[in-house]
Amino acid sequence: MKQHELDNRLSTIEDKLIRIERRRAPSAAEGAGDRVYLLCEREQVFEICRFLFEDLALRFVISTGVDAEDCFEVLHHFANDESGCIATVRAFIRDRENPEIESITPLIPGAEWIEREMHDVLGIGFKNHPNLRRLILDDDWPEGVYPLRKEVQT
Amino acid sequence: MNWKLWSLKKSIWVFHVNTGACNNCDIEIVNLLTPKFDVERFGIKLVGSPRHADALLVTGGGTRQAAVRLREVYRQTAKPCVVFCMGACACGMGIFEKGYHMAGPIDKIVKEVDPNAIIAYVPGCPPKPETMISGVVKALSAL
Ligand code: SF4
Repeated sequence: MKQHELDNRLSTIEDKLIRIERRRAPSAAEGAGDRVYLLCEREQVFEICRFLFEDLALRFVISTGVDAEDCFEVLHHFANDESGCIATVRAFIRDRENPEIESITPLIPGAEWIEREMHDVLGIGFKNHPNLRRLILDDDWPEGVYPLRKEVQT
Repeated sequence: MNWKLWSLKKSIWVFHVNTGACNNCDIEIVNLLTPKFDVERFGIKLVGSPRHADALLVTGGGTRQAAVRLREVYRQTAKPCVVFCMGACACGMGIFEKGYHMAGPIDKIVKEVDPNAIIAYVPGCPPKPETMISGVVKALSAL
């Protein structure tokens, strides 16, 4: 899929997004290193990921969780290997007290462990996740302490 | 020399314990067994159980989850035994020092079980196989 083709397809979900940002690695070869950020609220994340994964057949790479102080961000990264373009869905979770977002594991089984990891270290809940047990923290780590949150000092 | 020490130093069998290493130290340890370094010519052999071992080769800084296991492995190792801290992580937690998940360093964890444990340190990130061999030789000659 060529770049402009991807752009055209992305415009069909524009109403679900806050906005689209583009960045490009300065030294990258033509076409490679292109990144598209799709900024959205947490309610839209499943539908956008479904579109990228099923309709555009992008490959799911990994997810990232960020504590951005005023909110949490969950970033799902998708790649189009043909063009070298990476599309990142950047979802904002505004509720810090009870952060929750829809899980994409029912759609993409490969996301199961990274969502469990984000749940462990940031305390983000994933709705509809089939198996949200502790993954990487040690067995006697206290419940309710999330080590990668900004307010936690080690 | 007391006969226990004499037999300990004769041909040491080692058990490898990873307590949260990045795997690089472990690769260097495996490297020791390849034909290029071939530590078996010195009688150093990797064994599958701490009960058969004279020495523990510990890599990694000692995570909270691994600390419990390391103490158990140390308890089960036939005494006297030597604990080798392989790499910067094992010697002093290295780059993971401030991590929320750390319980190390290794000497502290082992000394909780046995305050008189014999501990040798081989620094490096990772130490070269040559350094590891020389560390073992130095530790054994100091006993
Ligand atoms: S000392 Fe270096 S190479 Fe060895 S486990 Fe630690 S970080 Fe990895």
